[in-house]
Amino acid sequence: MSDATAPASTAKVTVSPDEFTFVKYDASEIAAIVTELAEQLELANPIRVIVDETTPLAKVSEEIDAVSSDATITLHAESGALEDRKHPMSFSADVARESLGRILLRAHDRMRPDFADAPGDLDLTLEQNAAWDTYCAGRLARMGVRVNQQRWRYNHRNRFGFHDDVDARFDQLWAADGLGWADLTR
Amino acid sequence: MRQFFPVEDLARDERFVQTNMAERMKDGRTAIDVEKQSSAKSRGATKRLTPERHDASDAARGLMHGIMVGEIQALEGAGRTAHDFAAGDGTNDTVPFELKLDMARQAWDEARHVEISAKLSDWMGTELGEFAENTVLFEAACSNDPILRLAGVNRALEGLAIDVFTQMKEFGDVAGDPFLEFCEDWMLADEVTHVKMGSDWLRKVTANDPDRRTKALEFQQVVDKLFSFGGARGESADSSFSLARRFRELAGFTDDEVETISAMDAEALEERKEAVRKYRERVGADA
Repeated sequence: MSDATAPASTAKVTVSPDEFTFVKYDASEIAAIVTELAEQLELANPIRVIVDETTPLAKVSEEIDAVSSDATITLHAESGALEDRKHPMSFSADVARESLGRILLRAHDRMRPDFADAPGDLDLTLEQNAAWDTYCAGRLARMGVRVNQQRWRYNHRNRFGFHDDVDARFDQLWAADGLGWADLTR
Repeated sequence: MRQFFPVEDLARDERFVQTNMAERMKDGRTAIDVEKQSSAKSRGATKRLTPERHDASDAARGLMHGIMVGEIQALEGAGRTAHDFAAGDGTNDTVPFELKLDMARQAWDEARHVEISAKLSDWMGTELGEFAENTVLFEAACSNDPILRLAGVNRALEGLAIDVFTQMKEFGDVAGDPFLEFCEDWMLADEVTHVKMGSDWLRKVTANDPDRRTKALEFQQVVDKLFSFGGARGESADSSFSLARRFRELAGFTDDEVETISAMDAEALEERKEAVRKYRERVGADA
């Protein structure tokens, strides 16, 4: 694993692998993006980013080893989550910012006591996952990250149904801030 | 008006970036569980495009964009075939006038499909040109023999469209997406007609030329295997969608032909797995 720490960062960010074989990604570029996002979220925790470059799929997940300011946050990303969809195997800073920002927000949420009951990322139901994604994507858009709201609305509808009340709930989650796990899943 | 248009000259605005099968096959990554070691959580329990997939909506968006650019190329291909050959009895690079009319009708259908697919893409949260455009479809429509075009485009490619639309219609139905299910159903009906036109004209025009028919069917098999995209279509859980056997039957495929395509899909999947294993050995990466 490389120590691809970007300068002027309070969070120490490392990226694995340090050199990519299957895709044209740069570990230091990924580290810089995560550092920038962590600064926006005022996260000073050490952050590990682990990229699975053997699959073009785009699943992302996170885990934290404790709820404290020095706990290590680990972000897992399949290579498709950081990819320029117009140029397969090439990196897209915009896509990476959107994918990694979303799960960094989740890790940020997990630091809150009212997220103590939230299951681990890989144990979330599809519906829990979608509701949390909506909540994170909305906040990410307000942080200035380029996010396509209709994409997330469609994802939300696929999990909860194609109805007006589902759209209303989507709009609430999208605009929300400071929610606890119970608010998110009610 | 210019005839026999090369793929490099297709008109696209700056939103679109094109790629081809050769480029696609350079990608050593795969969603296929090559070594059967990955956990279901890390790779998804199935590659089948269903709402149960964790990445269902994004996978559907990607496929929908592929359908949209495929419709653009199908429009261009049918239009070229209506225009590129003189009317005649089907010999000496001519085609029956009624075949040209069928191609013109198909171009009209495809134009409607492009509009529908673009609107569906918007509905699903996809920007036009968001994904790379694979030009393999139009390449199959560039043969100098109109009968090879019918075999490659109408039977192989539009046959693939039947399989994909059936899967997308089912996806829309299960997810409860009323527009997706409705639109795919209507487009599917057109695709069955396009394949049937290809099947009928191939038989008619080559009725007295068995060598030409054999050559056309061989070309169709080559295209069919290419369009399997390394096993993306097939009965395996590693495949995104399956052969729509019933609709293919309605479109004029015999049982033997469907079985042959099914066997080729399985073969393409194994070949892709082998290619990925070799690539990984070469780069020394863990599977």
